[in-house]
Amino acid sequence: MAHEDDARQAVPNMPGTRTDGVARRRPLREQHVEETVRVAVPVRTAYNQWTQFKTFPRFSAVVRGVEQPRPTVTVWTIGYGPLRHRFAAEIVEQDPDAYLAWRGLEQYPSHQGEVEFRPTESGGTAITVRMLLEPQGGARILAASSRAARLTARLTARLVRGELMHFKRFIEGLGQESGAWRGTIRNGRVQYEHPEPPRSRVARWPVG
Amino acid sequence: MHNPPGEEPETTLSVTPPKKWAAGLPAVVHALEYSLEQTSPRKTGVDLLAMNQVGGIDCPGCAWADPAPGRRHRNEYCENGAKHINDEATTRRITADFFREHSVADLAARSDMWLNQQGRLTEPMIKRPGSEHYEPIGWNDALGVLAQELTALASPDEAVFYTSGRASNEAAFVLQLFARAFGTNNLPDCSNMCHESSGFALSETLGTGKGTVSLDDLHHADLIFLVGQNPGSNHPRQLSALEEAKRNGGRIVAVNPLPEAGLRRFKNPQKPRGIAGRGTQIADRFLHIKPGGDLALFQGLNRLLLEAEDARPGTVLDHDFINAHTSGFEDFARHARTVEWDDVRAATGLTLEEIEKVRDEVLESERVIVCWAMGITQHKHGVPTVREIVNFLMLRGNLGRAGTGACPVRGHSNVQGDRTMGIWEQMPDSFLDALQQEFGFDPPRRHGLDSVNSIKAMREGRVKVFLALAGNFVRAAPDSEVTEQAMRSCRLTAHISTKLNRSHTVCGETALILPTLGRTERDRQADGEQFVTVENSMSEVHTSQGRLEPASPLLLSEVAILCRLARRTLDGKADIAWDTFEGDYGTIRDHISRVVPGFHDFNARVARPGGIRLPNPVNEGVFNTKAGKALFTCNERVVPRAPEGHLLLQTLRSHDQWNTVPYTNNDRYRGIHGSRHVVLVNPADLTELGLARGDRVDLVSVWADGTERRAANFEVVPYPAAKGSAAAYYPETNVLVPLDSVADISNQPTSKGIVVRLEPSPDRARPTPS
Repeated sequence: MAHEDDARQAVPNMPGTRTDGVARRRPLREQHVEETVRVAVPVRTAYNQWTQFKTFPRFSAVVRGVEQPRPTVTVWTIGYGPLRHRFAAEIVEQDPDAYLAWRGLEQYPSHQGEVEFRPTESGGTAITVRMLLEPQGGARILAASSRAARLTARLTARLVRGELMHFKRFIEGLGQESGAWRGTIRNGRVQYEHPEPPRSRVARWPVG
Repeated sequence: MHNPPGEEPETTLSVTPPKKWAAGLPAVVHALEYSLEQTSPRKTGVDLLAMNQVGGIDCPGCAWADPAPGRRHRNEYCENGAKHINDEATTRRITADFFREHSVADLAARSDMWLNQQGRLTEPMIKRPGSEHYEPIGWNDALGVLAQELTALASPDEAVFYTSGRASNEAAFVLQLFARAFGTNNLPDCSNMCHESSGFALSETLGTGKGTVSLDDLHHADLIFLVGQNPGSNHPRQLSALEEAKRNGGRIVAVNPLPEAGLRRFKNPQKPRGIAGRGTQIADRFLHIKPGGDLALFQGLNRLLLEAEDARPGTVLDHDFINAHTSGFEDFARHARTVEWDDVRAATGLTLEEIEKVRDEVLESERVIVCWAMGITQHKHGVPTVREIVNFLMLRGNLGRAGTGACPVRGHSNVQGDRTMGIWEQMPDSFLDALQQEFGFDPPRRHGLDSVNSIKAMREGRVKVFLALAGNFVRAAPDSEVTEQAMRSCRLTAHISTKLNRSHTVCGETALILPTLGRTERDRQADGEQFVTVENSMSEVHTSQGRLEPASPLLLSEVAILCRLARRTLDGKADIAWDTFEGDYGTIRDHISRVVPGFHDFNARVARPGGIRLPNPVNEGVFNTKAGKALFTCNERVVPRAPEGHLLLQTLRSHDQWNTVPYTNNDRYRGIHGSRHVVLVNPADLTELGLARGDRVDLVSVWADGTERRAANFEVVPYPAAKGSAAAYYPETNVLVPLDSVADISNQPTSKGIVVRLEPSPDRARPTPS
């Protein structure tokens, strides 16, 4: 089960602050949806599997497809029944085994969020997702009322909680990750790796 | 379907006001009108519905990327693409009788349009020495003649192998393999004439020769610059991406000497609002810049950004990016601060206030993309201009992040892929080493000839055999008279072509026409039906497979022609399985996967829907420059000036034209109908020059060699061209571009910024289309 308490049991790591002490771009505010799940695999395993975005449709109830044109950009197709919605998201920060922050690239609905991975005392991982969704069109007007805003937050929280539980069952069932991306992203840009990542070994000569 | 024109159509010029929007219902009507003129409704339906679809036919019209699989429209093409594909799928045929009827001299007097309208080539033809006519020849004999000429050369470097961007990856790989096994790196290509300046500048500064953006980046940019390009006519599908960017809140700054319709408003014919509504405004801000002023514009913008940082330290520049990923910033910044506003004003024709407003747009934008095309690269200072654009992007970290980057918009559909496959006269040792390891022969290491140097070598008799894989070299190249003289001085010229063009008529002592399959046609080989692959402007490699029956049973594919020629010429000298290649293109791709970086598991990966997206190192955090970092550069200031009484000419295409081939004499977006022999000039310049609408003038270019280059008998049309500039159609005015007038560093011909004067024409007769 996902409980907020799980987060407090995990090793403290203040949102908005990296382990190196550098302030994050924009700490999420309190009213954001926040859900935590504790999974019974080491933090490296949980993190590595999370970076395999293209596998999300294997466990998710709403994600129908994910493309990752480059390490910092994912394009998601989500759906329920016959309905489909496609959106792109930018990964703005990523620290292996610790943290990932994203933001939607569409103007509306805009969303941003962060995922934290923390080792628990039992050797597992606490995964916390914080997210803010800003609706569009008529939904945006409705959400202006505090009641509607609360309802939106509740629905989003339920969705996030459900997805986290699906991920928990998935990775615990697998036991080990199906792949990994261990790069670091700062301010939406991949940090140079030594040695050079194999993916970037492409033709370098001038193209007219 | 209409029959081909027997004689040149007689048309007269009429001028209407330039259009204020592009596409819409007229685009659909014009596309269908031309398509049905060329071919049957069934064929039109088959090829259009397969065009740019997963597993379908890649449009040969341009190199713009396709939306992701599942996101494509049922009709995923533009007016120009539809015209182009049906121009190839035409039911008109050129037979031996046609060549008996028309001598080479007769054909050489015809217009580009007339030659193209005659239809598809159907069997190999030869013009023998001393003969005035082409005559039929069997494939074995044709390739035997060519092989014999090649093997008789004193040196392999006496042959040149030209590639146009229509050629597939497989054909390009086979051609470069054959040329290098034969013993030369003389591999000029059409890239030499379009984006060579981009390739050199990007390689030097970013360590990659390719653009860094994807369609998703364009959709999500806050601010897009369109510089020196005309998407409405030359890459219309870009307008859909720009429309999506606008609907997502992005803004667009267009920078061009002409206020083109496609830069103003787009009516998307795929959407009701595009048919019945006002469409989408494209440019939020238009900078009516003088030709060649773009370098000064970006230098001015960069100075303004540095000054903004001075005023509000830490808020304007991306210091994290600059410090961690770049080198040369201090020198650049010092240099940029010395930019003189008088120079910027003189070079651009813009006011400081206009440029400051653009700076403000930049400061309000977190994600910026700069797109450019030949309005940048075809200037003498094309390389420094692209470098300065890179400086501009780097200042605020607009590289390697989503919604940011550099976007050179390429023209021909596989021009990028052909270069990736090794069609370049200066390939690095790493590629040649891989070739050696894969095929067991030692490729030549000395650099070969590019397009300009090939023409010089042909003219001087140093090159005796010219083979073209597609294209219309004579018309695409500069200094038409010199180029034609060069071609005529060859012992043998041979063209692998689908349709007739002027390069077949301006030929060597012996000339061969080797007719080939088009993109639209089924390609059946020993191992079954084949597909080919292409790479678009955004580094996506995917398949293309024709759906129509070939225009003639005697046509061979490009790969088959090259493999047979290689077998005949090399005669077992290199242990290369040409037969296997011809029978199964998958075997070529297997070799590509081991030779070309980034193509591992090529056959398996390219078969996936949408194909392969080649990563761009910049987006992976890698800058493959000597310093291992992106490079800021200091670029000398350039103020393009024309002497008193002269103008700066840019050559351009009409809307009803594909590369060197005009489909009609109309250019409806610019309001020109019935003639291509027009020169568009700012009304204020006309007054100063003592000219008026309808005057007949000769265009005479000024160059240091003192040779008079003249394009005769053009009609003057007052047009909102930037003050001090003129515009006229390509390829008719290529004659004005001196062969020695090339871009610094890239050696790309300068088809923009040509200094010309307009002399009253002595010939007052109606201009002929030729």
